[in-house]
Amino acid sequence: MKQILLILTFFFILTGCNQSGDGAEGNKPLIGVSMLSMQNEFIVSVSDELEKKAEAVGAELIVVDAERSALKQIEQVESFIAQGVDAIIMNPCEVEASSPAVTKAMAAGIPIVNVNSATATQPTAFVGSDDVESGRIAMEYIAKRLGGKGNVIMIHGYMGQAAQIQREQGAREILKKYPDLKLLAHQTGEWDRAKSMSLMENWIQSYGNKIDAVFAQNDEMGMGAVKALGAAGMNDKVVVVSIDAIPDALQAVEQGTLDATVFQNAGQQGAQAIETALKIIDKQPYEKEVMIPFQLVTKENVAEFK
Amino acid sequence: MKEKITTTIFQARNSYSARVRSLGVFGILLAFVVICAALALTTPRFLTVGNLTIILTQVSINALLAFGVTFVIITGGIDLSLGSMVAVTGVAAALFAHPDTYPLVVPLGVALAAGLAMGGFNGLVITKSKVPPFIVTLGTMTIGRGLALILSKGRPVSNLSEAFNFIGGGQVLGIPFPIIILVVVFGLCSILLKKTIWGRYMYAVGGNEQAARASGISVVKVKMIVYTLCGVLAALAGVVLTSRITTGQPNAGQGFELDAIAAAIIGGTSTSGGSGTMTGTLIGALLIGVISNGLDLLNVTSYYQEVVMGIIIIGAVVLDGLNRKG
Repeated sequence: MKQILLILTFFFILTGCNQSGDGAEGNKPLIGVSMLSMQNEFIVSVSDELEKKAEAVGAELIVVDAERSALKQIEQVESFIAQGVDAIIMNPCEVEASSPAVTKAMAAGIPIVNVNSATATQPTAFVGSDDVESGRIAMEYIAKRLGGKGNVIMIHGYMGQAAQIQREQGAREILKKYPDLKLLAHQTGEWDRAKSMSLMENWIQSYGNKIDAVFAQNDEMGMGAVKALGAAGMNDKVVVVSIDAIPDALQAVEQGTLDATVFQNAGQQGAQAIETALKIIDKQPYEKEVMIPFQLVTKENVAEFK
Repeated sequence: MKEKITTTIFQARNSYSARVRSLGVFGILLAFVVICAALALTTPRFLTVGNLTIILTQVSINALLAFGVTFVIITGGIDLSLGSMVAVTGVAAALFAHPDTYPLVVPLGVALAAGLAMGGFNGLVITKSKVPPFIVTLGTMTIGRGLALILSKGRPVSNLSEAFNFIGGGQVLGIPFPIIILVVVFGLCSILLKKTIWGRYMYAVGGNEQAARASGISVVKVKMIVYTLCGVLAALAGVVLTSRITTGQPNAGQGFELDAIAAAIIGGTSTSGGSGTMTGTLIGALLIGVISNGLDLLNVTSYYQEVVMGIIIIGAVVLDGLNRKG
């Protein structure tokens, strides 16, 4: 009995923490949002932009965190359906495993917009960027800087995740175009700065001056590589490019330790997702696929992104 | 009463020296030397001063955590909240380490206080509630991760002062500072475990808690000490990590507890408590570091690295079991 009371008290305290309040006030459209992981800086930025835009246009959001679990995400979408939201915005955890959520929403007649990454099942609309393109942009920049000839190292994200697969695919397409551009080594840094730093330190030991360029699939890992190269006094010699344009990386580009990053537009992704969802709710014409372009950020244009 | 205490201590000491005499530390040392020799033969880059320095620097964080958890495991407990404590203390330090704000002692003090509080909380709940340490620290692991995200608002805390970044990235007489921290902490932990009465109490509590209690040892006090110590060492590791990567990362340290526990176990610390040495744990941590570095040098995919590491952990425990019987 005691435990039950304790659990109940706890539950009420927690529900009390929910600041958004229940139900839609008046005729505001209600949109359920399920995000991949609120432990990821980029995803948090997209989520912030969703809220900002929603406030600006007068829509009400319920934002939940799927904590990288597709199963949890499906359950969240199910509860959105049960609550009778007007639309769902989903930032899918996985290509295949999150697909049932799309199917369920469509079956219930609730429009669902995928933001940032895709599912195998076609949603009502998709807003995001093509990760393959970001890999191409990064590797193309390396090819240009090295004059199409040299040794490149690639640091992967978590193996098998959509972003990792697509960024690698884009990079490899470019590598194929330049036969003199050699992939010296590649290994996973698990999107993690410390891990990638250790990896780079070890590579500096084994390849030393042979390394001409590093492509890290996100900025965190790029920053790790920059730190390791800096300690070895090799910042000027090695070209380092990564993806995402997080504040740290922009600062490093400004200082010249990181040569370039690829800007993925969190603001536009968030804003366009809300706009698309509202258009669908209001039965206005909308684009089924809104592609937000990536942009290369170098020392020359870094000021525009800060 | 006093006699009883001495007997228990004597027994604990006896079992301790028995462990040293047995293959325990020697076995792992032998394995370590063989693996190093194999790596030195296969890749000429392995046995260079530069590379060995890098290995020691990379190992330092895991070793600090492993020293802490060795105390805990010796008393028969476990601490799964290490990785989360690294994140909380690292973020806490980073928040106070921006340039031109506070002197260096403030971020360090904040981090150590946070580690002390979290470790103390673990100890308090474990000793007062009788809930198994596994469950309690599983809880604090999640709580800690949440706290780190709350403190940092889910984003890395960057722009840290030069002085702070020296801890993980600086050098003294050509020796990276984390290595110096590693050596000093290793010395202090070894002395505490081997030369002080509290070290012997730890073995006694882990060897036979009831006997230890019966002979007048304050089991509660011993446990409070080991969990708090573990928290403080986690804070130190958090500071070194944050300084090394020059940002406080709320999701840093995930899975660190497992590497630390692995180092202790590979180093011959018995999971049932009552035995283990700091030297063993240090070699365990070095072994993990050397393998990861060596396989990177050989450009072996990390998939295989994980398989190799798992085999070594199981192998170490099997070896330990055989020693115990023999």
